[in-house]
Amino acid sequence: MKYRELTREEQTTVKRAFDRWGIFEFLSDKNLVVSEGDQKKICLLSPALASLLPKFSPEYAGLVIGDLKKGFTPSMPGADLFARHAKKNQYYISVNDNAEQLVLYGRDVMGDSISLASDTLDENELVIILNRKQEAIGIGRTRFAGKSIFQKGRITITTLADAGLYLRNEG
Amino acid sequence: MKTILPSATEESRQLAVRYGYDEWLVSRFLQYVPRVQEFLEKMDKEPTQYIRVNTLKTSAEELRERLAAKGFVLGQTNLPEVLSVSAAPMSVGATSEYLLGHYYVQDVSSCIAVDALDANPDQTVLDIAAAPGGKTTMIAQRMKNTGCIVALEPNARRARSMSFNLARCGVSNTCVLLDDGHKVAKLGMKFDRVLLDAPCSCEGVIARDATRKTSHEPSDVEFCSNLQETLIEAAASVVRPGGVLVYSTCSFAPEENEAVVQSLLQRQAGFSIEPIKCGVSGLTSFQNIDFGSAMKNTRRLYPHLHDSTGFFIAKLRLG
Repeated sequence: MKYRELTREEQTTVKRAFDRWGIFEFLSDKNLVVSEGDQKKICLLSPALASLLPKFSPEYAGLVIGDLKKGFTPSMPGADLFARHAKKNQYYISVNDNAEQLVLYGRDVMGDSISLASDTLDENELVIILNRKQEAIGIGRTRFAGKSIFQKGRITITTLADAGLYLRNEG
Repeated sequence: MKTILPSATEESRQLAVRYGYDEWLVSRFLQYVPRVQEFLEKMDKEPTQYIRVNTLKTSAEELRERLAAKGFVLGQTNLPEVLSVSAAPMSVGATSEYLLGHYYVQDVSSCIAVDALDANPDQTVLDIAAAPGGKTTMIAQRMKNTGCIVALEPNARRARSMSFNLARCGVSNTCVLLDDGHKVAKLGMKFDRVLLDAPCSCEGVIARDATRKTSHEPSDVEFCSNLQETLIEAAASVVRPGGVLVYSTCSFAPEENEAVVQSLLQRQAGFSIEPIKCGVSGLTSFQNIDFGSAMKNTRRLYPHLHDSTGFFIAKLRLG
């Protein structure tokens, strides 16, 4: 795998995304690189690993915190990191215990299982799905805007990725 | 090293039949496993399961509380981050805490090997034959995700699987190279800590895989021993002065353990064996081979004595 520093344009895209997710301050002084395989991925590295990277051609390096296509999309390890360190904003929604189990099996989120969400959310927004303990369990996309996100008996958030996905892929 | 085969005795024949082993294996166990019958009984029982708390994401106290609320009964071990599982209402791999990377299912013996490595923040560590990453992720948490771990794994599929475990545990100080442990010199650097958990004949995990009672041959021990001698020599060549090399296997065979350590000490000056807290002393002799008194500092873990998988650990310091 080839690893390289972010271009100026990529830095702008990533920093804008970090700002959106409320994680800009935490990640501003961290070492990030791009891995170029089938997809461009943003990897977080310890400083010592970052300094060693040019010596090797590792297959994997650091923690992949997201993908870079047109914009930056967090990965599950990225969402986990964000949930731990970000100033949480409207892009983080919480679900109840029952929904947590369903999300971890890749199921979508019903409106009545959302325990906390901002009514300023728009339709088609990317959100990080948190459990009751405010831990990232999934990444989703809103199907409705505002208070409609809480509507009963309907799926209001599509689950795009979840913490159980890697295990299902492995199987 | 050629596999030593003691003569069969009436006792070895009887025990082999009773417990379903090849006789040559039991006749060897009688030479180096204490209280053999207890050992053979224990190998027929379900082994104790252990989980290692991922302190990069949670604390032992918090995890205990969360899993206890789900009906798990956990016990303490010699290592603060390792818990034994005495009752589980579901598979330990099926909880949300597992999926979120709050713990790793790992035998206590593997954790003792990492503990012996004594990896600290900001160090540079080499982990040879690293997949699936249990020890690597524990090293990372001991280093608090600082410094750098270079993990070698020659098998691409296993390396990919390892990458999932590293990601689940939130490890950001590790790179995985698709490489064989024999080629460490080409990395062109020295390491503060080197872990070689060598490929072995796996005598210590018979409780998890009963087919091993009859599926391996004396030649397998010899094959592994020869491989281990070349691997430990390569590993030792990249240890920084003052640095530590931990050599471990999940085998009891002296040819794969004490003999391998002895071969290194004879070929490379400057290494000494440091003591390790857990387990019982390594062998100072086997049949007519003398390993020297310093070999007492190596450690053997036996399932019936230590409630772990069988393991051998040697901690070697350079200079």
